[in-house]
Amino acid sequence: MKIMVAGKGGAGKTTVSGTVARALGRAGHSVLALDADANPMLGVSLGVGAERTDLLLGVRQGLETGEVEHEPTIEGMIERFGADAPDGVRLVVANRIDNDTPGCQCCGVSADQLLRELEDGERTVLCDLEAGLGTVLRMAPDSVDVVLVVANPTAKALEVARRAVAIAADKTEVIVLANRVRDDADLDAIRAAIPDRELIVVPEDATIARADRDGLAPIDLDPYSPGVTVLVALADRLAGAAVPG
Amino acid sequence: MVGKGGAGKSVIAGTMARVVARDGRRVLALDSDLLPGLSFSLGAGADPTQPPLGEAAEKDENGRWRLRKGVGPVRAVQRYATDAPDGIRLLQAGKTPQAGVEPIMGSLNAYYRVIHRLPRARTFEDWTFVGDLPAGPRHVAFGWAPYAETFVAVVQPTAQSALAARRVARIARMREGVRAVFVANRVTGADDVRHVEGLVGEPVMAAVPADEAVAHAERLGVAPVDHAPDSPAVVEIERLVAALAEG
Repeated sequence: MKIMVAGKGGAGKTTVSGTVARALGRAGHSVLALDADANPMLGVSLGVGAERTDLLLGVRQGLETGEVEHEPTIEGMIERFGADAPDGVRLVVANRIDNDTPGCQCCGVSADQLLRELEDGERTVLCDLEAGLGTVLRMAPDSVDVVLVVANPTAKALEVARRAVAIAADKTEVIVLANRVRDDADLDAIRAAIPDRELIVVPEDATIARADRDGLAPIDLDPYSPGVTVLVALADRLAGAAVPG
Repeated sequence: MVGKGGAGKSVIAGTMARVVARDGRRVLALDSDLLPGLSFSLGAGADPTQPPLGEAAEKDENGRWRLRKGVGPVRAVQRYATDAPDGIRLLQAGKTPQAGVEPIMGSLNAYYRVIHRLPRARTFEDWTFVGDLPAGPRHVAFGWAPYAETFVAVVQPTAQSALAARRVARIARMREGVRAVFVANRVTGADDVRHVEGLVGEPVMAAVPADEAVAHAERLGVAPVDHAPDSPAVVEIERLVAALAEG
């Protein structure tokens, strides 16, 4: 199955992506984590470390710098340019922007293209998107099984989440996460902005905050913290949805 | 203002713009983010559904976008910028609507052309431009802030935020005559400031404290300067404005 994670910058997309990917991997599923952000950070939440994440090559850059002479298959690219994260998760960075001459983004390998062409088969492809609505807007109906929209109880994040839900719901299944919820007022604010939808409530969580601060995977710090527990349960549910028949 | 999503770019940009304007200077706030943000923090409420700047562009006979005849940077700001409190003019590309980017392509094209002509327009010589860029390195790398002399990389005390700020500052500094500075945001004490400085590898120019009043303003979608003008965060941003003015 293919899962995309969308929302405003800072809403918690990468934390959700990394933790759900690790939980799926830990439960024995084959997981490919695709970092579709030109400012790739997914490695941090997956637990490969901040400095190592900063050194990971994007598929696009790998091909451009002639790192390999000829790599005709997408699986070959994952093999060559991917990195291993804990729990058997394979991490691939699509494209990173590191200088002021990044070249035409319409040419060459793009995150959209990788997401489109990667075959899920028996594995789960989990894609952490760049902040914004670009990929959600461009995705073809039913090309992705689930879009996870991460919302925060701030006016700006809710405005972005509302738009993401409206766009994605026309195309595929949408699950909304109310992230960093402190109290009923927070939850009410999210409910008011995105009404008539089930909300997966991820409470404000000191473990996740500490993991963010230190560049670690929340699931490595405490797999049973309140926020991580909700994300692990979400992974179970998503995996259940992937069972054939 | 550049940095990772959620670091506080819009809050700091909006507050800085208001502080400068209250000091009696003309301010043009520039917003190239396709997601909402700056307008709330300026105290101008939600963004308009139709960006007025869309009217400034048209397609030529080959289907290419261009500015309408007679529209230069000065007229664009006069006609197509909107008003924010304290006399600020806000020029913005549209926000992505549900239908996709097609309806805002005119405003995007007009915005890109106008900002590239702003630095040479004499009318704006004594104005202050405060730009709010979207999350990440994209707009810095693709020249969406040609008016900027200083890039302020906003950093929360988290590893990802610092990594993003470091990357973006590195790209910004590739341009000649540009400086990049780091500002720590939402810090809860000296430990957090040291943490940020350790991660980005240099001292920060200011350290904006975590501030419940600002968090509340964010929830409401209002400007911190209106909601809590004397809050510690606003006071530190005032200090930052003074420090930046000194150069």
